[in-house]
Amino acid sequence: MAPVNANSAHASREQFVKRALMTGGAVAAGGAVLGALPKLASSAPSPAQDVKILNLVLLLEYIESAFYAEARARGALRGELREYVQVVGAHEQQHLSAVRGALGNKARAKPRLRFGNATTDPDAFVAAAINLEDTSVAAYNGQATNLTKPTLAVAAKIVSVEARHAAWIRAIAGRPPAADATDPSLTQAQVQAALRKTGFLRA
Amino acid sequence: MPSGRSLETGLTLGDVDVDGAILERIECVHGDSRSAFLRKATIGGAALLGVLALPPAGKAQSAKDVDILNYALTLEYLQAAFYTEAEQVRALRGRARRAVEVVGAVERAHVTAFRDALGRAAVARPTFNFRGVTENQTQFLRTAVAFEDLAVAAYKGQAPRLASDALLAVAVSIHSVEARHAAWMRYLFDITPAANAFDEPLSRPEVLRIVASTNFIAAAGRTEREGTPRFTG
Repeated sequence: MAPVNANSAHASREQFVKRALMTGGAVAAGGAVLGALPKLASSAPSPAQDVKILNLVLLLEYIESAFYAEARARGALRGELREYVQVVGAHEQQHLSAVRGALGNKARAKPRLRFGNATTDPDAFVAAAINLEDTSVAAYNGQATNLTKPTLAVAAKIVSVEARHAAWIRAIAGRPPAADATDPSLTQAQVQAALRKTGFLRA
Repeated sequence: MPSGRSLETGLTLGDVDVDGAILERIECVHGDSRSAFLRKATIGGAALLGVLALPPAGKAQSAKDVDILNYALTLEYLQAAFYTEAEQVRALRGRARRAVEVVGAVERAHVTAFRDALGRAAVARPTFNFRGVTENQTQFLRTAVAFEDLAVAAYKGQAPRLASDALLAVAVSIHSVEARHAAWMRYLFDITPAANAFDEPLSRPEVLRIVASTNFIAAAGRTEREGTPRFTG
């Protein structure tokens, strides 16, 4: 399963970093970073929009926390992966509580999920974890400009922890924890598509 | 790995033991060393404030955003110089050496991006003196962890204050990359990459106080100093 970073700006960002890597960063890369912005939402931040965005984020946190809880319960993962599951699973539970608490009675219901062998097979687990964590970072980043500032301040405390998780599982897997100068962002529609593609959501 | 991985959570620049002389020394009651440290810290702090003095506003950004960008640029100068020196000193081995190449290139790209965005309003590069920590793998990694955790907290403190949505989008996309770096350096240092469920922000005065306490900024930037960093220690 490929990590989700399929926003249209990614190719140019990769080129930019490639150039930066070749030349030790001594290129006029600022234009490339600023040129790789996500499309900004047309509607201004509002509490109602926060609710919509937080419910998308809540869906992510439901999936992540259930994924790690199942991996832990089934007990098939060993060594570094086992340690990762324990620590990260506890974090995702706290994220879930925080987001659900912020939404109160506007919180969506927990979806029905099935993870198949992704919670027991080490290779499948690593691929799924990288995908979920990278998607999570891109989802939070993609909504930063759409959130009211107080909600943004809270989301910012979560997104960097998701980024740490993403880097951690990538390091365990021997993949670059951070190859790009900027992280990609995803729109709400792209996040939903990425989550559908995992096959974890049951109808 | 590591059942042995420590769950250390409170690592900060104050824990970085440069010449045995950061926070340990400020606690020291023996006259000379304490006053010498405080004098150096004051000079460092004053130099840094000079670096961060509000420059003429660029045409594209509000004065407040320019100020925030120059603050971020200064932190990126610090990180880029640190990794570049570590790469050139060639004292690191194995995975740490490879990580330094990748992370250093990214931090230099951040510098270039901010300088480009700020144009003539960009602050000059300060002169750094890392006091030998790039020449020792353990000291290097301790310092890298502290720098990266600090950068995450600093960006988190500023992102909601940016007026421009375009700059906010860039800031958050750099913020999460710094968090990836923090986790990476922590992994290499064999401490937990993600110590808490929530990362807390730090205010600008808190960040500047921590940076000043390291004495890594030897002088504020006056004229551009490109090229080879100073090797010391």
